[in-house]
Amino acid sequence: MADERKGIIAAGFSLLWRRQGVLWWVFIVSLILGGLGALPATINIGHALNHSLAGQQLTTRFDLGMYIELLRLPDVNITRYDPAVEVSVFLFFLFTLFVTGGILETYRQDRRLNTGEFFSASGAFFWRFVRLLLLSIVPFVIVGLIYQGLSKLADHVGDRAIADQVGIFSSLGAVIIFMLLALWVRLWFDLAQVRAVVQNERGMWRNLWNSWRITWHAGIYWKYVAIALVAWVTLGIGVVLWANVPSSSTPLIFLVLELIIFAQLATRLWQLASAMTWYQRYAETLVVVQPIIETVPPPVEVIETPVVTDLPPAGAGPELPPADA
Amino acid sequence: MRHRLVGWFCVVTTFCAVAVAQSPFAPKVTGPLSKRVVAYQIDAKYDPPAHSVEATETLTYHNLTGQALDTFPFHLYLNAFQPQSTWIHEAHRDGNFRSSNLAHWKPEDYGSNVVSSFEVEGMGDLTNQMKFVSPDDGNPNDKTVFQVKLPRPVALGQDVVFHIKFKATFPEVIARTGYKRTFLLAGQWFPKVGVWWHGQWNCHQFHALTEFFADFGTFDVKVTLPKDYVIGASGVQVSDQDNGNGTKTVGFHGEDIHDFAWTADPNFKVVNETFNGSVGSVRIRLLTYDSHKQSWDPYIYCMTNTMKRFDDWYGPYPYAQITVVDPPHGAMEAGGMEYPTFITGDSGWYIPPGVHFIDLVTEHEFGHQYWYGMVATNEFENAWLDEGLNSYTEAKVLDNMYGENTSVINWLGGQLGEPEVQRLQYLGSPDFDPLARHSYQDASMSSYGAISYGKTASMLLTLEKVVGEETMKNAMHVYFMRYRFTHPTSEDFVNTVSEVAGQDLSWYWNQAVYGSQVMDYEVQRADSTPLKWWDENLKEKKGETEYETQVILHRKGDFVFPVDAVVKFDDGSMTREHWDGKERWVRYVYRKKAQVESVAIDPDYRVTMDRDYLNNSRVTDEQHGATHKLATYWTFVAQFLAQLLSWLA
Repeated sequence: MADERKGIIAAGFSLLWRRQGVLWWVFIVSLILGGLGALPATINIGHALNHSLAGQQLTTRFDLGMYIELLRLPDVNITRYDPAVEVSVFLFFLFTLFVTGGILETYRQDRRLNTGEFFSASGAFFWRFVRLLLLSIVPFVIVGLIYQGLSKLADHVGDRAIADQVGIFSSLGAVIIFMLLALWVRLWFDLAQVRAVVQNERGMWRNLWNSWRITWHAGIYWKYVAIALVAWVTLGIGVVLWANVPSSSTPLIFLVLELIIFAQLATRLWQLASAMTWYQRYAETLVVVQPIIETVPPPVEVIETPVVTDLPPAGAGPELPPADA
Repeated sequence: MRHRLVGWFCVVTTFCAVAVAQSPFAPKVTGPLSKRVVAYQIDAKYDPPAHSVEATETLTYHNLTGQALDTFPFHLYLNAFQPQSTWIHEAHRDGNFRSSNLAHWKPEDYGSNVVSSFEVEGMGDLTNQMKFVSPDDGNPNDKTVFQVKLPRPVALGQDVVFHIKFKATFPEVIARTGYKRTFLLAGQWFPKVGVWWHGQWNCHQFHALTEFFADFGTFDVKVTLPKDYVIGASGVQVSDQDNGNGTKTVGFHGEDIHDFAWTADPNFKVVNETFNGSVGSVRIRLLTYDSHKQSWDPYIYCMTNTMKRFDDWYGPYPYAQITVVDPPHGAMEAGGMEYPTFITGDSGWYIPPGVHFIDLVTEHEFGHQYWYGMVATNEFENAWLDEGLNSYTEAKVLDNMYGENTSVINWLGGQLGEPEVQRLQYLGSPDFDPLARHSYQDASMSSYGAISYGKTASMLLTLEKVVGEETMKNAMHVYFMRYRFTHPTSEDFVNTVSEVAGQDLSWYWNQAVYGSQVMDYEVQRADSTPLKWWDENLKEKKGETEYETQVILHRKGDFVFPVDAVVKFDDGSMTREHWDGKERWVRYVYRKKAQVESVAIDPDYRVTMDRDYLNNSRVTDEQHGATHKLATYWTFVAQFLAQLLSWLA
């Protein structure tokens, strides 16, 4: 395959591209759930705005004062619609957890699964991934605690420095370390998911242990970091684009915002595709390390043989029988 | 010869520069500008590691009260930062004070003023006569005001001289005073005599939200501090002496001011600029930091442009200098404060372009040089004349500088104008307190902020609808020129505006200043029906069918105010109605070959006291543009949050 010659990042992207149907599907679900989450607020905002000229302050430009005033209205009170957004967010989380098995199976086979195959794979791995999710709480909490400590240290350093920048960059350093650690944990659990799919691994503790060992190997972590950087860059570009879209052009604003979401989802799936590619290409050679069993060789009878001086050339030997013989 | 001439020229110009620099006034101004009641001479020694000042104060009080006085009250403000003070009680009652977390109040946050000796010339040592009093709330643990009864009264027209030794210990910066690392803002730091006003002493305790009222006079203050410190203060610097022991003593002189603050930090950078106003040049001395370099130009731009507008619109700034302090990071509590000829701003290492935060604070604090510094109203009792008038002029100046609707934020597509900021603050708590209530007695901090700042600004912006923008500008000018260097009251202000407007505005003041009425107008109905609605064969045709249009305007609030409404029809015609608003509602009926398209009360959003802009207009055909736009943002936010959470899956 041509991918064999590509680096992991390129091969991962290639896999993502070939199986882009998965990405589009996830994106559409994200859009639908996001729209449903926003629906109650939209309806009530509509009641307040659709018959008022005040809405022009939000279309011809974006008057923050008018927006705040709108949110202050008892009927449009933003806090009332939190639950709808929260539910939609949680549903998307569950959805992602559920379909990750199907996505990884698609990437493993590198072919388009039909709906039955996809959901069958999703269902097959769901509870294993739930167990992984629960187990991931521990390392994520540890990373969170490390961040808290670093953050306090950064505050301490910043508070004593004359220049603001010391504190800002110390805090930024703490955030970067936190993100790198969190990304490492994410990679660890991504590889556990990949292993579960490729090896049909059922024991999640064992799976985690094996994944832990391979996560330390090779450069897959830095490839994850590189893809994460792409995610941040696309986010930044998206924000710049959004800032330059004419305020009155709602369709264009919608397009730019959805491009941001699409790019974020794409980079996440790119990471998964890269992890799968990397695992299939290298990881088994790292993990299939059989335990060394110490055995005592049987006593060998030493027989005196004449010295052979006319050896056959290397590679020559007795002809082996065919495999099916 | 040429060198000699140059030498003489240098000597002469240096002499002139020193002479000019030592005058507390701008070149075309000579004092006295006020009735100088007090003359302070303070010799202070700053101990940076202890964050404290040991000082001797000589106060000469000229008894111009019209009667003999035998009792004198003094403020000791730094005692406010003690656990059982009224200040702490009030600040804790209403949550936290600005960025200070009073739930985690530590001993290093404490401050104090301790008077070790109190002598009166000719009357001896009266230290034992000092008695703490709490005229406002009777709090026996509040030590922010003490009074001394003299053995014999000071006759009318006579002077009395007080010699006070005191130690001021500063808290870690809180409520616009205190230290942070090597930075110190010394505000409200010395024993300050109360004001004899309306036949009695006016010397309130230090409250969480009000603290200013003092008599005009002269200040000669010397501060001894380590040699490497850069110092700035009220007035102008008149001396700088190296003591040879690693310290220096810097002298300042101020005239016709009523308070004195100073700041010091070895890390300060000094940026100087000159503003050329109608009474000559004024030196702008910015004390800032290398790490705030990005803010230097915005500070200077804001100061020169603000000073120009105040000079053009309201009157001259008569002093020789204005010192602007840009506090270091972590000392936000020192930011945004006013003292005579001395203000503190607020900035940071990065503020996005289009976010006029530095301007917002700096303009406001400079405005206080007029509404507090020169027109020295009683902030304890009439904070609206101080913070409120200042918020109004802030809206006028910033709008003029950066454009209406964009004077605070014009960044990433979002826009926010200063009048809207004031209005939103007002709407936060519009009906608890009238402006006329003593400010320290307001229901809460949020009510104080809403009323003193937001309501006053909104009320005066709304008044422009009645008297006109130019008349209001003129009224502010007359009020400033008439009452500068005095202590005017609410009545002085409202009477001045009414007089300049040439109208009896009592109907307005009664509601806006002395009452707590809230204004809310709505378009209750706007629709058109064919005149021949009973005709079964009627086929409506644009431009030919005759309609009857009904428009009902409704006054929902209890604030009566005349409003204009614009009615637009689908044939492009438009009519403007003026309603005095006295009845609860009014109906307008039109018969024409056109249907109503929209009705808008106050279509330009000038009546900023109206509590709900959204019901001020009505369109007959739904407009979904804004709803779709907001739905787009809400959907994006939901998706983005979902995508973040799913990263954990």
